[in-house]
Amino acid sequence: MNVIKEAIAGTLESSDLLVKVAPGRDATREIVIRSAVMQQFGKQIRRIVEETLDALSITTASITIEDKGALDCVIRARVQAAVLRASETKELDWRSLT
Amino acid sequence: MNPTFYTVQAKDAPAEMADVRNLLATYDLELDDQIEAFVVCRREGRLVACAGLDHATIKCVAVAQDVRGESLSLKLGTEVVNLAAAKGRFHLFLYSAPRNMPFFRGWGFYPLVEVPQQVVLMENSPTAIETYCDRLREQRRPGNAIGGIVLNANPFTLGHRYLVEQAARACDWLHVFVVKEDASLFSYEDRFALVAAGVKDIDNVVLHPGSDYIISRATFPAYFLKDQAIVDRSWTAIDLLLFREYIAPALGITHRFVGTEPFDAVTRAYNADMQRWLHGVASAAPSITVVEIERLSIDGAPISASRVRSLWTQHELASIKALVPATTWQFLANRDPPVTGSPEHRSLEPTSREVEHS
Repeated sequence: MNVIKEAIAGTLESSDLLVKVAPGRDATREIVIRSAVMQQFGKQIRRIVEETLDALSITTASITIEDKGALDCVIRARVQAAVLRASETKELDWRSLT
Repeated sequence: MNPTFYTVQAKDAPAEMADVRNLLATYDLELDDQIEAFVVCRREGRLVACAGLDHATIKCVAVAQDVRGESLSLKLGTEVVNLAAAKGRFHLFLYSAPRNMPFFRGWGFYPLVEVPQQVVLMENSPTAIETYCDRLREQRRPGNAIGGIVLNANPFTLGHRYLVEQAARACDWLHVFVVKEDASLFSYEDRFALVAAGVKDIDNVVLHPGSDYIISRATFPAYFLKDQAIVDRSWTAIDLLLFREYIAPALGITHRFVGTEPFDAVTRAYNADMQRWLHGVASAAPSITVVEIERLSIDGAPISASRVRSLWTQHELASIKALVPATTWQFLANRDPPVTGSPEHRSLEPTSREVEHS
């Protein structure tokens, strides 16, 4: 799956996160995370984001996240939604979204 | 009762805008008339929060004192970011009073530059400016005197050519930027192409595309409202401090060159402010020497792009020949000027409406 345009998903509200996706440069994945709970869960949040992107075969993208203490499943859902919007996917492999 | 959020088009809703104006006035904010739309929040009929959007820039944000601390502002932030996204704008800027900066950090915005006690410009990415500077650094050139010029070149004249020539002569290398915003009579693409053609033979010039960080609607809104002669000093400071703190260090620029400005009040004020913000005030970034170069005159009158535009729209092609390089003249001769509007007419309005539909 390729990120071809910019897109967002989520909100800035408590227990949610706002994910911004943009086309990347030089075949790299740039992920920037800011979180209200960075000290405790920063590593875990990053791992979930990386896994979600891997599952969707996203290799080139710029991802900016403003997290307000979202649960793992919410993080996964918001990242998926933003990436799907940014890739204008018409036919979806639902297995990649588990 | 739950608060309701909705969008108000600034031009179509005078009653709503009166309430917005009142809310802003309560917190010593003035309504910025460049704002096209507001996200507003009402509770029990009362307008309790608003956030304005001017293209990709969020301004005029206010939340009534008595509803603060209810996470209403985060919903407001989400709504205005979504409004921008619906218009295809994702890279966003935001103006705030410095004391409210922590509040907007919670919206996912990061500070870029600050005019102490006045205003801070933020953007919704912690890395975008650095990525941009990294790209600039690839264009770095060696030398002791490195010049910089920012041109709108609407269109490129012999006056611009003279300025670039003089500056290039005084420097080891000269970086030339073309204002990117499509708010002028000639499109960015055309303006850039004419500058490129016009400076091609000068060996020590590096031509750069414009960006959101150099005289853009975000960094210097007043520039694109020249005709109304609205000049807000703090706006010029934001643009100049961005140049001093990010762009100049990335390229090692030591001198900024500018032509003297006999006609245009906004540009003249900008030139005067340059001295102050690039050189005068204390800053962590090195100071930049500002060099004003006397405008090139022909037959006793300084050459200006506005004179060329005026002659062109009046079909006075022959009189333009002495004012522009052959490449610009060729370009003008090959197309028809716009039929309507005064010679000074800018296509600002149509441009913004087109964006509306996207």
